[in-house]
Amino acid sequence: MLGFVLIFIAAFFFPGLILRTKSIFSGRKGPGIFQPVKDIVLLLRKGSVFSKTTGFIFQIAPVINLSAILCAILVIPFANQKAIISFEGDFVFFSYLLALGKFFAIIAALDAGSSFEGMGASREAFFSMLVEPAFFILLATFAMFTGYTSFSGIFSHFFITGNHYVLIYSIIGFYLLVQIAMIENSRVPVDDPKTHLELTMIHEVMILDNSGFDKALIHIGSYLKFAIYGALLYNVIVPAGWNIWLQIVLFLTVQVAFAIIVGLIESFRARNKMNLNPKFILVISAIAWLAFIIILILTDKLI
Amino acid sequence: MVNYLVVLFAITLIYFASAERLINYIRLIGLQGILLCGIAIFELKEINTANLIFIASESLIFKAILIPYLLTRIIKRSGVTKVHRLAIPAFYTIIFSIIALLISVGLAYSLINSFVNTIYMAIALYTLFTGLLLIVTHKLIISHLIGFLIVENAVFLFSLSIGNEMPMLINIGILLDIFVGVLILGFFGLRLKPHTNELTMLKD
Repeated sequence: MLGFVLIFIAAFFFPGLILRTKSIFSGRKGPGIFQPVKDIVLLLRKGSVFSKTTGFIFQIAPVINLSAILCAILVIPFANQKAIISFEGDFVFFSYLLALGKFFAIIAALDAGSSFEGMGASREAFFSMLVEPAFFILLATFAMFTGYTSFSGIFSHFFITGNHYVLIYSIIGFYLLVQIAMIENSRVPVDDPKTHLELTMIHEVMILDNSGFDKALIHIGSYLKFAIYGALLYNVIVPAGWNIWLQIVLFLTVQVAFAIIVGLIESFRARNKMNLNPKFILVISAIAWLAFIIILILTDKLI
Repeated sequence: MVNYLVVLFAITLIYFASAERLINYIRLIGLQGILLCGIAIFELKEINTANLIFIASESLIFKAILIPYLLTRIIKRSGVTKVHRLAIPAFYTIIFSIIALLISVGLAYSLINSFVNTIYMAIALYTLFTGLLLIVTHKLIISHLIGFLIVENAVFLFSLSIGNEMPMLINIGILLDIFVGVLILGFFGLRLKPHTNELTMLKD
């Protein structure tokens, strides 16, 4: 339960921290840390406007997206505490809950009947499809490494397997999860949330028709997703057995550091050309493959 | 420790499959030189010290400093910065690279015996395939040269995998290094005229 609350707290500050980092590094005064939250409160007070071409899918999609993300948080463990829901193979459940949310976002974009949104939906589906092997292979590597197939099992035994190659997997896991988080949340270098040209957008162009309350739900979902990946990053780099108060402080530190990393990447890195994105994502999958094969060799499980 | 270096070495190979700027290839070649030096120092514990110093200093000076320096000069003089001409899109190169990884692991396991370190064998085969892939998929001659350097690193890794039994083999590999250094210097470093785009013309 503590993990659930902490992820919410982290999601509350996350977008503001990214904005602050970006404005400090671009030399602007910029908005305050709570500006994104204030924007969401403003949006939540408004009503939604629906186009006449849209059907009921367009209206229910934001709610389904947010509820899928909320359910996905339930399987993420914190410290030595078990996750609220935990069973064998729950990382598959986690991944497909996020995919369900994304699926509804995609068909809602198609439902709007706009060619721009259809284009964004097609790109989002393609990039999500490419990044999925990376996530699964990474989790399979962790499962092979620890011998457990649930998030709670994997992360509570990650640092106590007695295998001294744990640092390799910790570093590779951290690197891959940061990249996967950037792709899944449609941030730089794959997509730029601040771009103002529909032809180069991916995620933002999909939600052009959403307004008011629905748009607020979509934004809350994306902030929560960042905090979820931050929690996974935290579990990969901090041993689960440490003192609980220290863990809470470290959790918030990791989330803040992750937000600053995202801000730094967005400040100093240009967005990829659209035709280079598949290659970029496939490299991440290739590194995950490599990690998986090396764990097989190092633990003598190949034969 | 040595396994960390081997993993890092393998990750550089994946970036070889995806990089498009020649300067990135050169940086990766330099990084591989440093990693190979580290691997040699950690791995070759049973050979005599003078030989070890020779191997480590050679891989550091030639692989990590001299050859990248020469290649950088060639690129600056010729003005060719990007691999414009790929036979197939880079997307497929990475897929081929992953397939090469699987094949090399399969081969390494079929050749398993007590004298050979399996992880070295697998990564060396993967390096060999990556070098060959670079030569086959690129059209510029400088990419072929870089592919050859990668194949040479593969030979070095192969010799390290049985290095404690056959130190002579490593020395032969090192002589190959020096040969390539002289080849680059002779062929391109001295005879190339600046800004004539000869590297783009020198296709097969």
